Amino acid sequence: MRQGPCSEEDCFGLLKQFEHVLESDPLIDEVGFIHPSQFTLLDKEAGFSNVYLQPHDGTSSKFWNQDHKLGISTDILVQLCKDAKHLFLLALDEYKCHGNACREPQIKSISSTPESEVMKHSQAVLLLSSDFGTAWNARKLILSKADKLFAFTDELRLSGLVLSNSPKSESTWSHRRWIIKMISRRFSTPQDIITKESELVESIGERSKMNYRAWYHRCWLVSYMEVEQVIQELNKSKRWAGLHLADNSCFHYRRRLMLKILDSLYVKGCNAYDKTQAHKIWKEELDWNKELVERYVGREALWLHRRFLSLNWIMYFTSNHSDVSPELGESIIMMSEEIAIFIDNEIHLLESSMTILDTKFEDYQAQVLHAVAYMLWLTKKMPELRRMLEEKLGTEKVKCLLSKIGEERPSLLHHLVNV
Amino acid sequence: MSSASSSQMGQLVADKHVRYILMAEKKESLESVVMDHLRMNGAYWGLTTLDLLDKLGTVSEDEVVSWIMTCQHESGGFAGNTGHDPHILYTLSAVQILALFDKINILDVGKVSSYVAGLQNEDGSFSGDMWGEIDTRFSYIAICCLSILKCLDKINVEKAVEYIVSCKNLDGGFGCTPGAESHAGQIFCCVGALAITGSLHHVDKDLLGWWLCERQTKTGGLNGRPEKLPDVCYSWWVLSSLIMIDRVHWIDKAKLAKFILDCQDLDNGGISDRPEDAVDIFHTYFGVAGLSLLEYPGVKAIDPAYALPVDVINRIAFTK
Repeated sequence: MRQGPCSEEDCFGLLKQFEHVLESDPLIDEVGFIHPSQFTLLDKEAGFSNVYLQPHDGTSSKFWNQDHKLGISTDILVQLCKDAKHLFLLALDEYKCHGNACREPQIKSISSTPESEVMKHSQAVLLLSSDFGTAWNARKLILSKADKLFAFTDELRLSGLVLSNSPKSESTWSHRRWIIKMISRRFSTPQDIITKESELVESIGERSKMNYRAWYHRCWLVSYMEVEQVIQELNKSKRWAGLHLADNSCFHYRRRLMLKILDSLYVKGCNAYDKTQAHKIWKEELDWNKELVERYVGREALWLHRRFLSLNWIMYFTSNHSDVSPELGESIIMMSEEIAIFIDNEIHLLESSMTILDTKFEDYQAQVLHAVAYMLWLTKKMPELRRMLEEKLGTEKVKCLLSKIGEERPSLLHHLVNV
Repeated sequence: MSSASSSQMGQLVADKHVRYILMAEKKESLESVVMDHLRMNGAYWGLTTLDLLDKLGTVSEDEVVSWIMTCQHESGGFAGNTGHDPHILYTLSAVQILALFDKINILDVGKVSSYVAGLQNEDGSFSGDMWGEIDTRFSYIAICCLSILKCLDKINVEKAVEYIVSCKNLDGGFGCTPGAESHAGQIFCCVGALAITGSLHHVDKDLLGWWLCERQTKTGGLNGRPEKLPDVCYSWWVLSSLIMIDRVHWIDKAKLAKFILDCQDLDNGGISDRPEDAVDIFHTYFGVAGLSLLEYPGVKAIDPAYALPVDVINRIAFTK
């Protein structure tokens, strides 16, 4: 590390090298921190292609750049981060005090302006410390004055790069939303930007499971979608959902999309075709969910998804109240033939789920608990259902269901019994 | 790392945690460098924990308070550290820390409250700062902060409540904005805000209680959402929410207490997210705060809505 005074050239040498790599390879799409021991291995594998990054003093390189991937040695991170923050804050101060005018004596190079210095150093610091909000804000300040779409799409590229190493960084996701808001205000909202954002979340979701920030971002995008795109999203994301059955965020996203479809039925201009299409989508999701809960035993996220699907099915797609808007919240559900048939099927599903084939296998026990919780949760929302359940199964069987819940959640049982 | 035998479990090593917190400032690691933008939050976590363990006197009040004031921006808001941008997150932490030291009187209350009130939007929601990100966390922060400063009348409370209620989901939980996934942290914020504004009647307590009690895993620890691993920080967010809606008896408190104690580093102090993991200040605070809510002996009582010791809240209530 640094010892004693040094010229400005020597100090910040690593930072300069870092910023130079970033500038010389604008197509870098992934950044990572690599332990020095892995570094020498990568050096060997890369052969001579990494030689330009090797220091002249014979020490091992601190940066690795191949195939548009950038690796940074972990042993320099602390110093690099401090240096980047230091220079960034200085540059920001300069920019705020003197605007973007260059002061003659201070020009280091013809091409550097206070603005470009802020952008350069903030980029470096954010790749190392993604939640340093002040750096993102500085970029927003400068971008607010930009009038070219390119400036904003390039910002999407940088924040994507930051996310490659810090997929949970809240400030980064927030910055992306600001960019999209700016794009939609100043230009228009090209549908493909929204589509690409959605795909980005899915790819990040692959590496970073149930990442709340990422999936929240995807839900946020839905407000920019027309119903056609919403339906497309539902179809496109189905395969991924089927491969990630424990990802509750992924299923919540589907619920978000489906709620948007439901909401669209209550705005002006909605016609019978829309209602039929929504009905079909809902039924398909219910059938698919049933297949999944039967095949993949004990998956909580699937059963929770069913709670939502069934309740909304009963409330909005059966001959119950046809004019009730979702915004009015839960209304009293009146039993009808259609609902009775639906509940019958759910009871069959419950009974088959309660068959434990192997008491040692935890998943079967979980399946029983989830199925029972599902049914009892529905009875909480629809008291008439409890009566129906007792009629169909008999009070003894219902007591058995309650005791199952009681095993795991005794206080919940107490509450259900006393209601 | 924790290596104690089961006979040593069930004991809060308070002195070790105090030492861990006092030493944490001095270490320079990548974590501390990368976290220095949220030093204000870190200070709140550390200092509140010390106060809960009745050791606030071990820090230099003057040093802390003068540093806090260097973080105040001309807009009235506070930044996470000197020279950084202000944000509502750090503004609340600053006010909370000053409350711990009974030094709220050094503030220009009008200035701070104007900054916070200025972040309310037309639909009742709150932005985190001038750049406009909306989140129910910021609603809670604004309401909590202004309540401590006794300036709640500076915002449109009715609209604020309306916005929070619009973030209620079918499962009874709340997310960051309407339609967002229910998350224990967001739920705490929404329930806390509704509690402070006397609006808890908007919560379906049984339904939400159900969602919250399903957070308890077989380990006794609580997770923040379905299918996730338990994490000590949820001991606070889930527990305080349950207390505020009178449903805390819906979880097994003894099992939870044991889980939190198992997350301690019995040798070096500090608490981690789950047993055997590395400790940090964040989880140390939430672990101790959780134990406080569970009425663990040797820990002062904490207010579930304000996240400050009850004696601090009482002091504020009886001032002015």
